[in-house]
Amino acid sequence: MGRIFALLILVVVTTSGCPFNLADVRFLPTEMQASAKSERTFALAKEVEISQLPCGYSRTLRNGTRWDLVGELPKGAIYRSKDQSLTLECSNVYEAYLVIEEDSLVGFYLPVEKGFVRVSDPIRLPIKK
Amino acid sequence: MERMLRLVICIGFSMLLSSCASGMKFTQANPSLAPPNPEFGRIFFYRPSVAGAAIRPDVMLNGEKVGEAISHGFFYVDRPAGNYEAMTSTEVSRKLSFVLEKGQTRFVRFKISLGFFVGHVYGELVDQSVGLEEIQECKYTGGNNQSNK
Repeated sequence: MGRIFALLILVVVTTSGCPFNLADVRFLPTEMQASAKSERTFALAKEVEISQLPCGYSRTLRNGTRWDLVGELPKGAIYRSKDQSLTLECSNVYEAYLVIEEDSLVGFYLPVEKGFVRVSDPIRLPIKK
Repeated sequence: MERMLRLVICIGFSMLLSSCASGMKFTQANPSLAPPNPEFGRIFFYRPSVAGAAIRPDVMLNGEKVGEAISHGFFYVDRPAGNYEAMTSTEVSRKLSFVLEKGQTRFVRFKISLGFFVGHVYGELVDQSVGLEEIQECKYTGGNNQSNK
């Protein structure tokens, strides 16, 4: 019985390599550009739950948080908040900013990795300008 | 047999206690939230839980050791504005990447998750209001506030 258990552990370790480092946030490398938009800031009129994130995690954008324009991507404008720290998470954790196109969240920008993470379905945000 | 069991419990308990931070409480140390140099930002690292206390990995900030993730412990470092990667390693390495701005204060909370042989200690970026509330009972463990880079 003990031998079978040991063999099972050996098989799992050798076949899976490092089992905890497999999942990671996939992003498209991209550089943030300066933005010419006139709408520089907005606040959320109510809480927004985002559940379609990599590795099954979810995040909540809090009601009343203010978001400031910091740049632009071809996919949309990039907003960051001083009221709320936002991250995406798999094996590692990445700070993330919102990417918004026509009042809908279309993805996230990872400022350290300089990458774009798309959300599968854009989420309409309750924006208060 | 019973004596042996007591001994094991005693050793386990003393190991748990010795694995926790023993410095001055945050409320007593009362460190400034902002760095003295306005060109720098301040990063607080803390681990509020006692879970997995025997595991206390080094905390590497952009490849440089700045302290240890000790249960009920905290430390802080001042660094120039820029991009940072905080890494802890047990059986695997876990990274947290974030941006630090001039005069900004950031809070990194360490948590532990299940591992194959050893638990994984990893950092999370938390809001200042959350960090300030949770760090109150943590004790100062001393960080490397002098960057070698």
